[in-house]
Amino acid sequence: MSIPLVPQLLRSHLIELAENDQRLDGRGQWDGREVQLEVGILANAEGSAKVRMGDTIVYAGVKFQTMTPYSDRPNQGGLMCSAELRPVAGRQHEPGPPSPESIELGRVVDRGIRESGCIDTEALCIIPGEKAWQVILDLYAISDDGNLFDAFALAGIAALRNSVIPLAKFELGEDIPLNVSKTPIMCSYHRVGGRYVYDASGREELGGDERIHITLGADAHVHSLQKGLKGTFTAGEFADLMKQARTKGDELRDLVHSLEGGN
Amino acid sequence: MGYGDVQMIDENGIRVDGRKAGDVRPISIELGVVPVADGSCRMTWGTNEVIVAVYGPMEAHPRKIQRQDRAVLDVRYNMAPFSTSDRIRPGFNRRSREISKVTSDALESVVLLELYPRSKIRVEIEIICAEAGTRCVGLTAASVALADAGIPMTDLVVSVASGKINGVVVCDLNKSEDNYGEADLPMGILPNSGELSFLQMDGDLSQEEFQEAWDYNMEAAMVIGGYCAEALKNGGYNL
Repeated sequence: MSIPLVPQLLRSHLIELAENDQRLDGRGQWDGREVQLEVGILANAEGSAKVRMGDTIVYAGVKFQTMTPYSDRPNQGGLMCSAELRPVAGRQHEPGPPSPESIELGRVVDRGIRESGCIDTEALCIIPGEKAWQVILDLYAISDDGNLFDAFALAGIAALRNSVIPLAKFELGEDIPLNVSKTPIMCSYHRVGGRYVYDASGREELGGDERIHITLGADAHVHSLQKGLKGTFTAGEFADLMKQARTKGDELRDLVHSLEGGN
Repeated sequence: MGYGDVQMIDENGIRVDGRKAGDVRPISIELGVVPVADGSCRMTWGTNEVIVAVYGPMEAHPRKIQRQDRAVLDVRYNMAPFSTSDRIRPGFNRRSREISKVTSDALESVVLLELYPRSKIRVEIEIICAEAGTRCVGLTAASVALADAGIPMTDLVVSVASGKINGVVVCDLNKSEDNYGEADLPMGILPNSGELSFLQMDGDLSQEEFQEAWDYNMEAAMVIGGYCAEALKNGGYNL
């Protein structure tokens, strides 16, 4: 419900800043905000994480349900990922059914995790054709100051990686850790003031143009890409972003692994 | 197992989590936890964790919801899908709608809405982790978050529930006590005036038991009101 005039003024300010290689909060073009990551913080979730990037704060929680396997994949369980942009996260977020924005968010994060193959869906089978685990990853924004995509993706993979399959609760044996073999990391870039920047803040998003999301694995394999909003980009620009994402992705992956101990 | 089948209090009157009948679970209060909000509060109470954000006063949209003589209070209570043992499907349900309404009614009684005609104040209560008594934690945290947002109020609303397990009246039921308990009496108390702006009850209490539960709530609310006041003065309590 923003007034169109304000982003227009903000846009011209952002263009001026970009011309002098500056950003609103003094960061360099490829600098991210400080990242705080906590895992295993929610007593009632089977896996959980909280991420703070500047004033953006999100939670991720993992729950397990039993499901009937799909008939074309009788020996596989499933992963479901859903993002909620609750009105708690900012005055621009209105109550109501999921917005196209939150559906896109959930689906892009979902693809990065799913397509990396980090979760062995066959290992989630309990009785072929009858019963399998469905892993549900819920992403929950508490404070939106921009770049929810990266915050959700980071919280999501960190939460999955400290999840426990609650066998005991379902009287199926003893709890075992969920095996997550990889750590896909998303890096997002917004065009702000005419050039791409990493980890845009809320105001940069408001006064910016299109965005590009890149999810990479440890071996720099590409697992998901998404271009959002109005605007075009060149092959050269994209090549730069890919290079940046490799460096930043490795840094964030190390952060996730540093909380796991022995991994 | 039904009511009274599970032994929840030992012969010395000690409850499953080691508390005595009148004891409240440990509480912590942190302010400013939602940086983009005008006021916010995170409250942990036992293993309950609740985050409340307040936005406003701001222009009320659409215009048909505007009131010419006062602000409207738009209160939402919502449980995160991972906040309970079994996942909750996202979206409003009858329970969260009712709790939103009674919480709104309780807060409207203390917020000076007439100072902000035609505007809206949004109160978003998010239950991140639930362990019994979330409506009480949500209401208490909401009143603290409103104060953190600088919204003029006549008083805080401190909410606490007492109930009965194994025939004994106890204060501030935890999860297992709530599951196997025989009664639950949540109240919202204004710590300065001692008045009530919220009251519910279900179960079975004699007149004497009811009075005992009432007194426990009154006593606990004064103590918790002190924690809230300390948090508002110092930016937090018991962090």
